[in-house]
Amino acid sequence: MSDNRKQRLILFFARRGATAWLAHLDNMRLFERALNRAGWPIAWTEDAFNPRPILVFGLPVGVGIETRRDPVEVTLERCIDVDWMIERLNRSFPRGLEVVDWNEAPDTKRSLMSLVQAADYSIEAPLIGQAFSRTFDGDRPVVVSWVRKGKMREIDIALRIIETYDIRDDSIDFKGGAGSDCHLRVDLLLDALVRDGGLSKEDALGARIIRKRVYGDLLT
Amino acid sequence: MERFDSPFYRSMLRSVTKPARYVGGELHAVDKSHAFFSLCQEERVHFALSFPDLYEIAMSNLAIQILYSALNSDEYVFCERCFAPDVDLRAFLKERNLPLVSIETMTPLSNFDIVGFSLHYELAYTAVLEMLDLGGIPLRAAERSDSDPLIIAGGPIACNLEPMAPFFDLVLLGDGEFQLPMLVNEYKKHKASKSSKVDFLRHVCCMDGVYIPSFYEPHYHEDGQLKAIKVIDPYAPQSVRKALVRDLDSAPVPHQPIVPNMEVTHDRMILEIFRGCARGCRFCQAGFTYRPLRERSPKTLIEAAQRLIDSSGCDEIGLLSLSTSDYSQLDHLTRTLLPIAEPRHINLSLPSLRLDSFDFELAERLARTRRGGLTFAPEAGTQRLRDVINKNITEDDLFDAARTAFENGWDRLKLYFMLGLPTETDDDVEGIIDLTMRLLAIWHDIPKDVRAKRLSVTVSTSFFIPKPFTPFQWERQISINEMRRKQKQLADGLRDRRISYHWHDFESSVLEAVLARGDRRLASVIERAWREGAYLDAWHEHFNRDLWFEALSLIPGGADFYTRERDDDELFPWEHLDIGVTRRFFERERALSREGRVSLSCFDGCSGCGCGVWHAGICSQTSSIEQKEEGNHE
Repeated sequence: MSDNRKQRLILFFARRGATAWLAHLDNMRLFERALNRAGWPIAWTEDAFNPRPILVFGLPVGVGIETRRDPVEVTLERCIDVDWMIERLNRSFPRGLEVVDWNEAPDTKRSLMSLVQAADYSIEAPLIGQAFSRTFDGDRPVVVSWVRKGKMREIDIALRIIETYDIRDDSIDFKGGAGSDCHLRVDLLLDALVRDGGLSKEDALGARIIRKRVYGDLLT
Repeated sequence: MERFDSPFYRSMLRSVTKPARYVGGELHAVDKSHAFFSLCQEERVHFALSFPDLYEIAMSNLAIQILYSALNSDEYVFCERCFAPDVDLRAFLKERNLPLVSIETMTPLSNFDIVGFSLHYELAYTAVLEMLDLGGIPLRAAERSDSDPLIIAGGPIACNLEPMAPFFDLVLLGDGEFQLPMLVNEYKKHKASKSSKVDFLRHVCCMDGVYIPSFYEPHYHEDGQLKAIKVIDPYAPQSVRKALVRDLDSAPVPHQPIVPNMEVTHDRMILEIFRGCARGCRFCQAGFTYRPLRERSPKTLIEAAQRLIDSSGCDEIGLLSLSTSDYSQLDHLTRTLLPIAEPRHINLSLPSLRLDSFDFELAERLARTRRGGLTFAPEAGTQRLRDVINKNITEDDLFDAARTAFENGWDRLKLYFMLGLPTETDDDVEGIIDLTMRLLAIWHDIPKDVRAKRLSVTVSTSFFIPKPFTPFQWERQISINEMRRKQKQLADGLRDRRISYHWHDFESSVLEAVLARGDRRLASVIERAWREGAYLDAWHEHFNRDLWFEALSLIPGGADFYTRERDDDELFPWEHLDIGVTRRFFERERALSREGRVSLSCFDGCSGCGCGVWHAGICSQTSSIEQKEEGNHE
C-alpha cells in the first residue's frame, strides 16, 4: 500500500544502553543511517550544495539521557506501510534504539520543535528524593546560573518544574518544562540538588536519567 | 548486570568528553562472549585489536575493519577492540587504579591472549606504552612472562619498528589479512599444546612477514652507527620477508563493517581499489613498501560497494588507493557506481587523483552528488625539483587542470607541497610562490560570467621526512632553523587575501624523522618521554617538544644523529627486513635523483625494483622482469 503523495510522520523512539551516551548530532546521524539501511523513502531538502534528509527532532537529547517516547518527524517522498517499515527500521538500529509508536504529523505549519512544551522525567540516584524535597521546599526560588554565548545567565528552575508525580528515596518522577520557552535542563537540576539538597556529587554523576514522555500542542 | 546499570560506570562516562568513544554497541560490533567463553580455555584465542589513538581515528582506519572481520570469522577467536583513552579518561583510570579495558566486553587488556597493535605513524608510540601500562602489562618483552599476553604489532610503519622493538614480542611485516589469522591459528595450537612462548616464537619465525625482534641483536660502532645486526636465535632466518597478498580479489572485504555511532574523522565507507603504487615518487614510503601494484576487479568492488551501502547506510563511499586515477578501469567503475550511489544521495569521493591524468568529465560526474574543493599535490615548486623527486607531473598538467576546474565553476583549490626536499634551493621555494601566483592569474583570465564568484586557494606545506625503504633513506632532514627560514620565505611570498597558507609543526617533523629512521637505542628515549608525560603526540595540543628533546639527550648527538645524511655504505637498522624492493634499486634511484633524472613507472616498463619475484599484480603483466631483475637480489 503506497502512493506518491509526500507523507509526514511522527515517530516516537526509546533509547537505552550505549545509544543513550550519544550527543544529539550523532543521534541524528544514526537515525539517518538507520532509515537509509531500512530503505525508508526520506525526502531531502532542496539545497543545491548540501542537501540533507528532512528529519526534525522534537527535543535535542543530551548525552547520558535515556528516552522512552521522544518524537522525531520524518518527511517521506511517498506513503508507506508504516508498521511494516517500522519493523524494518527497528531491525536496522544498533542495540538500544527502538521506535515504539508513530502518528501522522499534525496538520500545521509550525515546526515540531515549536510544538513541544513539557516532558516527564524519572531520575534515579541514592537519596535523590530527600535532596529534591530539601531543594524545592515551599515556594522559594531555586536560582541556578550557567554561561551561554559568553554571558552568565540565571534562572529559577523551581518555575520549570511543572508537576511532581512521585518522590522516593532513590528516585524522582516529575514533569518539567521543555522546548524553547521554559526548558528544564536536567544537568542544572542535578547541580541544584547537589548544591541545595545535599545530593553527593558522585551520586549526581552516576544518576540514571530517563525522559519518559514529551508533551506538546497537537502531539499525542 | 549490564554496564549501563552501574552508577559508577555512568559517573565515569559523565566525567569524560565524548563518552560514546568508550561504550561500544555499534551496529555490526561483535559480541560472541556467550558462545566464546563457553569454549574450553585451551581451544580459544582472545585477541585485543588495539590502536594507539582515539576512537575517532581508530575507527576511520580500514585495517581495523579488515582485521576485526577476518579474525572474528573464526568461531574459536574473539577479536575485541581497545583504543587509547583521551587524557580525561586516562586520568580517571589512573586516579582509581583501574585497568584499560576492551570496548566490547570490558575485559582488562592483561587478560587477553594476544594484544595486537595496528601502527600507522611514529608519533603514536607513547600511546602504545600508555595502553600497555594502563592495561597492566609489563612494557618490555624481556620483562613479560609466559602468562602475560603476547604483544604484537603490524601496519605500514612495521618496516622499521626498531625504536619500539624491545616492547613487542612479534612484528608482522606486510599485508595482514591472511597472515594475522594464520598466526592466530598457530597460537591456538600453541595454547593447546601448552608450549612456552619462546617455542611458539621459534615455531612461527620462519613464516612470511613474521619478525621476532628479540631474535636479532644490533651492534653499534663507537660513533653510534650500526655495525651489525646479529641473529642470536638458531631458529631465526637471516632476513624477514614481508607477507604479500598476491591476488587482492581473494582478500576479504568486510561486508558488514562496524558503523560507528559517533562521528569519526573519516566518516565514510572505504573501498580499497588497489594496493601498491606504480609511480615511484622518491620520498614516498608507502609507494615502495606496498609494491607490487595489485588491483581489485571492478566486479569485486561493485559487489562490495553494494553490500557496504546496504549494510552501513552511510552517505559517502571513498575509493582508497595511493593514486586513484591509476586504477585501470576507473571509468567503468565510477560509471557503474554512480547510478547506484546517486539515487540514494551517496557521495562518491575519489582522493589521490593525479594531475596528469585528471579527468574532468569524471570530476563533473562526481560533483553532481556534492561539490567539494579540488586538491592537487605538485609536492615541489619547480620542474627541476619535481624531477629530483620523480613526481612526474608538469606545470602544464597543473595549469590545464586548474583552468578546466575554474571554467567548470570550482572555486576552492588546495595545493600540497613539501619543503626541505633533497637539493632544494631558495629558487625552488620561490617556485611554489610563482606557481601559486600563476594559478591566480589563470583564474583572473577566465571571463567573470564563466568562473565562480570568489577563489580561495589553500597552500599546505609539510617538511620532508626521509623514510626507510625509499631512495631518499640516506638523505638528511633540514634543521629547524632552515625550516623556519623556508616557511617564512613562503609565508612572505604568499600574502594575498585569496591564499591561506598552512605549514606543519617544526619540532614534531623532526621527531617523526628521528623515529622513522631510528634504531633500537631509541626505545629508552621513547620510554623516558612517556614516563615524563608524553602521550598522543600526533595531537598538536598534546605534543610537548621539551619532553622529547630532553629524552633525546640520552643519545650522543641527540636528534641530529638521526636526521643527518647517512653514509653511502652505512648499515640501516632495517637492513634485515625485506619488503621486496632492493637496496641496489634504491641506490640507483638515488643516483638518478642526484642527476635530476626521472625513472619509469611500472606502467611504462619494469625498472627491476625487486618485487618481480612475486609475479603478482602489475609484475605478472610485465614480460622483461626476470632479465632486469637478475643480479638485483643480494
